[in-house]
Amino acid sequence: MRDSRSEKLFYLLNYVLLTIIALSCILPLLNVIALSLSGADAVASGRVTLWPVETSLASFKSLFTGTPIMRSFWNSVQITLIGTGLSMLVTIMAAYPLSRRQFYSRRFFTLAMVFTMIFNGGLIPSYLVVQNLGLVNSYAALWLPGLVSTYNMLLMRSAFEQLPGEVDEAAKIDGCGETGILLRIVLPLSKPMLATLALFYGVGYWNAFMSVMIYINDTAKYNMTVLVQNMIKSTSMIQDFADPTMLATMTPEGIRSAAVIVMIVPILAVYPLLQKYFVKGVMLGSIKG
Amino acid sequence: MNAAPAADAAGPEAKGRFSGPKWKRFKTNLPLLLMFTPVILFYLIFRYAPIGGLVIAFKDYNFYDGVFNSPWVGFHYFEVLFQDPRTLEIIRNTLVLSLLSLAVGFPIPIILAIMLNEVRSMAFKRTVQTIVYMPHFLSWVIIAMLVSTAFAMENGLVNRVVEQITGNTYPFMYEKFSWVSIFIGSGIWKDMGFNAIIFLAALSAIDPSLYEAAAMDGGGKMRQIWHITLPGIRPTIILLLILSMGRVMEVGFDQVFMLQNANVNQIADVISTYIYRIGLQGAQFSLTTAMGLFESLVAFILVFTANTIARKFDQGLW
Repeated sequence: MRDSRSEKLFYLLNYVLLTIIALSCILPLLNVIALSLSGADAVASGRVTLWPVETSLASFKSLFTGTPIMRSFWNSVQITLIGTGLSMLVTIMAAYPLSRRQFYSRRFFTLAMVFTMIFNGGLIPSYLVVQNLGLVNSYAALWLPGLVSTYNMLLMRSAFEQLPGEVDEAAKIDGCGETGILLRIVLPLSKPMLATLALFYGVGYWNAFMSVMIYINDTAKYNMTVLVQNMIKSTSMIQDFADPTMLATMTPEGIRSAAVIVMIVPILAVYPLLQKYFVKGVMLGSIKG
Repeated sequence: MNAAPAADAAGPEAKGRFSGPKWKRFKTNLPLLLMFTPVILFYLIFRYAPIGGLVIAFKDYNFYDGVFNSPWVGFHYFEVLFQDPRTLEIIRNTLVLSLLSLAVGFPIPIILAIMLNEVRSMAFKRTVQTIVYMPHFLSWVIIAMLVSTAFAMENGLVNRVVEQITGNTYPFMYEKFSWVSIFIGSGIWKDMGFNAIIFLAALSAIDPSLYEAAAMDGGGKMRQIWHITLPGIRPTIILLLILSMGRVMEVGFDQVFMLQNANVNQIADVISTYIYRIGLQGAQFSLTTAMGLFESLVAFILVFTANTIARKFDQGLW
């Protein structure tokens, strides 16, 4: 189809605006990468924009040797892997029965769960529950209270419901029980949804901040989010940790930038692989309404 | 066929104890129920027990007597809250920040989705999408760091530009108006791409022949968007508006906590940060639970009202 002049203008404007939006999303990150890779003088005098100046790995060196970032990195990895595994397991255990038409009271259970999405006890009563269970200062306090996200559970349930009914009829005739149907048919067919929700839970645990701040007192158990937040809030903390001879070769800004890079890299590593899945997953959730 | 429930009506009623539809239903339900038991426990302990714990808003909670034995004080803490100008300010801040975020932030993913939908080059579209979805997955710690780096007084990218133009730097993070703008802008920046996904899904369901017909009739791009695209995704828009209405009372804790500073506290202190500071750090459990209960109730009423309105358009959630 031939475009009229106004249409050409529309498309041109559209491309320009979208390019600006995309750049706005990527430039701040490029700036931080450049800061983390630049020399201390260049950072301090503000000569770094989008490209490293006086390229040096000093910031990363001080970050790894002068701060407990490695320990908190492994804490984050541990919190994320175990938390995601547990959450996925229990979310499946919630979504599968609710997706079965013959399951007793599925409507009642669904309503009872959805109710907790729009009305909840809030921070203090939740804290008291965790405290009374003796979970304070253990990672269980990060995993258990947020084990199932009702929203994610509903997404998974509708993914299960959309599988063709004939397949599990056939499996039943072949002598498959409910667990067999779940493990051999439903789960393998729901891989996109499983990948999506694992990403959502994983990112949630990786970025966990408030729960760690509230429930974990032992600084050795801090994850990266809380450690980096502390580093940003107080420059003196960086100076406490860092080796004094190092301070001559780096700036707090450079170290912070390096810490941000360490936090982002794992997310950026899995994100492109899972993008097509989460787009599908979110769209699936929207159709059901 | 009569109108008996389908599950029980299937097949002839067998009288044996271990046969018949009821037994069959129980047999398939047993593994499901076993599987479901931990889920029930989870919801009872971590979702419903805290709701029960809300009673301490009406009690003088102390650690020794616990939730059950602490003395009742009725609406005392609510009176304290609503007579204190400081807490009224905090409620106002919460509403101002979230309503502004909603008013400014809600249309943007819709516009972004429509813009993406009008792109013809698939490669360009995919690249832009990949980039704009990404900030959603970054934590607020990182975004606050990016924001403070960009707007810093010394060496901040934005202030370096401002300095070149005006000769002076501007304390963006320390002035109320610019702080609120940055707060709202950073929220939009983080989630606009991700929130656009749902609208893109709705857009892909619109029949392309409608556009062809409109083009035949001489409708320009803007008219097509106004008369075809927007009505086409109206159900999705209303549905998401309801969902975000329910969240009006909760400005995310992380975002406020990371971005706030002493200079802007007058406008930047919200219910969630207040509950954290006064409740958890100051151990004023009953007072802040009363605040939390007020917050939950208002949110509940908002969702209900929004849903009732949406039902008039046949778009209700329930």
